[in-house]
Amino acid sequence: MTYAATLVESRTATAPVTSRTGLARFMRRICSEIGAQRYMLVQPSVERGPKSVSIITSNWIFDALEDLGSEGIARILESGIAAGAGMRSRALLAAGASFLTTEDRRALRDHGHIETHCRRLVADGTTVYALFSSETSGEIDGDALSRIHMKCCYALVQFFAATGGRASADPLSERERECLMWVSEGKTTDEVALILGVSSNTVNSYIAHAIQKFGASNRAMAIATAIRSGII
Amino acid sequence: MVSAKFTDQTPELSHDRDEIGSLVEAVDLCHDLAEKLGAEGFTLLFAAAQGDARRLVPLFDETFPGISSLTRALTGPDTANFGRQVSTTTCPMWWRAKGAASFLDASARVWSIEAVPPVTGSSIIIFPVSSDGRRNGAIVFAGNDMSIDEDTLCEAHAACFEIFAQVAQLRKQDGNTQRPMSKRELECLRLTANGLTSDEIATALGLSVHTANQYLTNSTQKLNAVNRIHAVAKALRCGMIA
Repeated sequence: MTYAATLVESRTATAPVTSRTGLARFMRRICSEIGAQRYMLVQPSVERGPKSVSIITSNWIFDALEDLGSEGIARILESGIAAGAGMRSRALLAAGASFLTTEDRRALRDHGHIETHCRRLVADGTTVYALFSSETSGEIDGDALSRIHMKCCYALVQFFAATGGRASADPLSERERECLMWVSEGKTTDEVALILGVSSNTVNSYIAHAIQKFGASNRAMAIATAIRSGII
Repeated sequence: MVSAKFTDQTPELSHDRDEIGSLVEAVDLCHDLAEKLGAEGFTLLFAAAQGDARRLVPLFDETFPGISSLTRALTGPDTANFGRQVSTTTCPMWWRAKGAASFLDASARVWSIEAVPPVTGSSIIIFPVSSDGRRNGAIVFAGNDMSIDEDTLCEAHAACFEIFAQVAQLRKQDGNTQRPMSKRELECLRLTANGLTSDEIATALGLSVHTANQYLTNSTQKLNAVNRIHAVAKALRCGMIA
């Protein structure tokens, strides 16, 4: 086998994803499999507060990122348009997406994101969104998109396991998480105190810490953030 | 009067028939999938939450409406650890019976993990699944003649999600089954989840504070929740709001 052939071989063979470079290589291969040019793996950022996102890896050009901004990306993630495993996805601009502002649409269109699909990936309880775009409408293969969905989830599990990225996605202590879980089940502070065998002041302080860590404005938002990011 | 009674009953009857019909359809889909994987049996399990613990509850298997020995083995009394593992893992898990041949090719093994399930007679592959309602579960296939490559693994797993979503829809006990939520009620819930107070919701939607509160009270009742936060959590978990 020639050196070039070995290179091609190693590029097409399935290998565990253990680094950011590996993840980017994996995503490029996925893109060519489904007919997309641009990809982005992105998470709502619980630490940085509402409307902020943290991008794990992407091959978007800088201008496109700047024009859409983290707020624009957050609007896409929060809109509920993302398709889960086993679901068909609708293209962003074609779906008459009313959650996008005129500027968002222009940013996407100007930078060649004509057909964009958003998939909601779950990797061991952590939610990550994948955006796939093509420069021409109708180029992305819908069947292939649902086929590669789980593969992307597996790759993320491996990536998080290898890089310890999941730890930062869950900033709560075990006690704080427990308190939020019970509050989300409709328990009052006093009831949670009884269940956990601590005082209600302690429960309130756990919850206050969780609210602070999420940059949330109140309990309801902290609960919602925790559920959305799969912590509870 | 008689006709009124009939019209009262008809929707309920047809609903039941639909429900059984869809369940049979889901069983058929699992049969098809089992055939594709070369499996002899399968079982669909729900993870039931008990506080912070998870227990697996069977819904159906290949002997539907019976219960197979595989189902019994995976849902027995000492399976709490397995239940927890299934409801926190994303990747497929496999277990090879003593003396059985390896049934995953090299690329499929890259994406899956070896599991230690409760003892079963034959090799199994476990596909952890969840529905939009954030209900967890798994579809398990068993057999000593299975053969699975990377593409089959990914496709089968996606198909499992599809089947699970379908049956989870049938089993939706929270919320939806009663009175449907109005658009405004959902909007108020969504804004509450985004951290807005009643005052802010009223301003955002151009309502009076009183009306916004009324919408939230209604949705709390409809979701059978004890308070607002509980309602938001329920709505998020069953996918009514994103």
